[in-house]
Amino acid sequence: MIFGKLFLTYGLAILALVGIAEYRGWSLNTVNEVKGVPKTIRNNPGAYRSHFMFLPRYIGGK
Amino acid sequence: MATPPQVKALACPNCGAGVQVRTYARTLNVVCVNCLTVLDASTPELQILQKFEGATRIRPLVPLGKRGKLESEAWENIGFQVREIVVDGVPYQWHEYLLFNPYKGYRYLTEYDGHWNDVKTLKSIPSPCTVSGKPAVQVLGRTYRHFQSAEATTVYVMGEFPWQVRVGDQVRVADYVAPPFMVSSETTADEVTWSIGEYTDGRRIFQAFELKEAPPAPRGVYANQPSPYAGRTKRAWTTWLFLNILLFALMFFFSIFTGNQVVLDKSYYFTTASKGEASFVTDVFELKGRISNVELTTSTDLDNDWAYFGFALVNEATGQGYDFGREVSCYYGRDSDGSWSEGGRNDSVVIPSVPPGRYYLRVEPEMQSDASGGGSADHRMNYRLQLRRDVPYNAFFWFAALLLLVPPVFTSLRRAGFETRRWNESDYAGGSSGGSDSSSSDD
Amino acid sequence: MSHVKAFCPNCGAPVEFLWSSAVQTTCEFCKSILVRRDVSLERVGQVADLPPDVSPIQILTEGLYRGKSFQVVGRILYEYELGGWNEWHCVYNDGTSGWLSDAQAEYAVSFLVQPPAPLPPADRIARGGTFHWNGTLYQVTTITRARYVGVQGELPFEYWDKSAALFADLGTPDARFGAIDYTENPPLLFLGESVGFDSLKLKNLREFEGW
Repeated sequence: MIFGKLFLTYGLAILALVGIAEYRGWSLNTVNEVKGVPKTIRNNPGAYRSHFMFLPRYIGGK
Repeated sequence: MATPPQVKALACPNCGAGVQVRTYARTLNVVCVNCLTVLDASTPELQILQKFEGATRIRPLVPLGKRGKLESEAWENIGFQVREIVVDGVPYQWHEYLLFNPYKGYRYLTEYDGHWNDVKTLKSIPSPCTVSGKPAVQVLGRTYRHFQSAEATTVYVMGEFPWQVRVGDQVRVADYVAPPFMVSSETTADEVTWSIGEYTDGRRIFQAFELKEAPPAPRGVYANQPSPYAGRTKRAWTTWLFLNILLFALMFFFSIFTGNQVVLDKSYYFTTASKGEASFVTDVFELKGRISNVELTTSTDLDNDWAYFGFALVNEATGQGYDFGREVSCYYGRDSDGSWSEGGRNDSVVIPSVPPGRYYLRVEPEMQSDASGGGSADHRMNYRLQLRRDVPYNAFFWFAALLLLVPPVFTSLRRAGFETRRWNESDYAGGSSGGSDSSSSDD
Repeated sequence: MSHVKAFCPNCGAPVEFLWSSAVQTTCEFCKSILVRRDVSLERVGQVADLPPDVSPIQILTEGLYRGKSFQVVGRILYEYELGGWNEWHCVYNDGTSGWLSDAQAEYAVSFLVQPPAPLPPADRIARGGTFHWNGTLYQVTTITRARYVGVQGELPFEYWDKSAALFADLGTPDARFGAIDYTENPPLLFLGESVGFDSLKLKNLREFEGW
């Protein structure tokens, strides 16, 4: 009896979580959030410094 | 006719101790409580039938002479025996209590390792059949699977019996189970007797006989012990089905009601040969609606090559940037094992929780240059970038499906484990026990 | 209903037959076994003291079986190597005669029937043997080599000097009962069913103190 209720609660909680995740547009991908990207970058894209996590090789702007 | 006195008091010819014989119990043999000699109760002289050769006394858990109430009827415990079988050289003993009611007759309680059974004679003769290729019997509408056959020897007797009993008596016993029931046959040269037992909680028996102490705790799983998981497994899978239907509905709902709006779809060309800045920004586009995700699909024409993209999704107004990198590589060829391929031409990524607003994408593509060594100097590719706003993200549904499987699978495994432990005690231990136990009770 | 009356040739006590077709009875007072020869009685033997009665059933017990009421008028007590049992002779309200087997408080009602097929001889009957009669499978469950301990009351046959009695008990998947009686040649067949004590609605039973 208890097990049944526990399972149902567990299951509904998972479904609720999935519903929220889908609604809010979550995903598993990690993205680096950068604040204050200046508007001048639109004119000079090369001046932007990348901040993402995986830098296997030298990346350099100018 | 006058009713005979309830109990006759006689003297044991072996040790002189007082021997009581219940006249209403059709007693044929009585065991002296003091010296455990089996005596002939059909005459007042109590002829000696068998002397006690054992070493220790065994104490019955239900005292001899105690009356208890079973199914609203009074039953008196008049006899006690211990019987033994030997399996793989190991002796297993169980206790039997003979209960009597002058109008209802006789009944047994058996006890082994804390497992009790309420046993009555069965007058319907079971018919042999098979279940999954293994021997079984069928009687009164139920099928019982063969559990064990063995030679049972009486090793200890106490109390009164309406038939002849001796230490050393042997019968061939066969047990068939349909938990919580068990039918058993006892066979000698001239006779076969069938009985049907129902697994009973020791506490109910102790309550019925008003015994103060606690019954012995059951050890292991007994032949016809009902599985605590039987009803639970069915309910678990039913709940699982229900939850999966809901999950499916959720998946369906989100596949219908997500915007899937294309906000960017452009093709580009890149080559390492060109001088100058590789990075660029796209036109500004609008991400509408609530906070949601953005899917970026990069489609290339890479052929045994790789490319690296540095991406940044930037909010034109707030300057908030979402910075990430993607690698696309596509290699293939033939070797001694046949053709192989690695990677692919396309890549897709879903960026989470991007608030609505006006955005542009900064792109910095990169391919192998001379400095890395090997290959010709020029690497080039055509690629197409597509951005979709508000797409369904299926990974969560798969995770949920997996997580939902855990409890019912766990329950099924526990149930299978219980059944394995049950059948480990049978003649079929070590083989497949298979099948499902039949259970008529719900938790 | 008027019963046949006669006088015991041994002690002169009045003997009243409860069942008009009784062949044999016992005199309550001098325990003589009396065989009916028309209206006079011939004394053929003496019954030894029977062991104290422990069955709840006794002579004059009344009961109900499948809608017909019966009265217990006679009894045969058997004994074998492992124990003993009673066969109660019952007379039904339509005059028919039947038996109530009482073995360790397990009861079976049966009636003498014509065997559907010839029965195997005594040296060929064994536990496990089967018979297919009237669409039912009868299995031999017990072979019993018994002897008479005693008789009481009215019986349909002359039973008193049989020292060796071979019986084969039969069982079926639906708790029917059968018994082959090898005390006669050809053997006799009784068919019936196992019954629960309560289903017989027995009255005028022996009482047991404390129960």
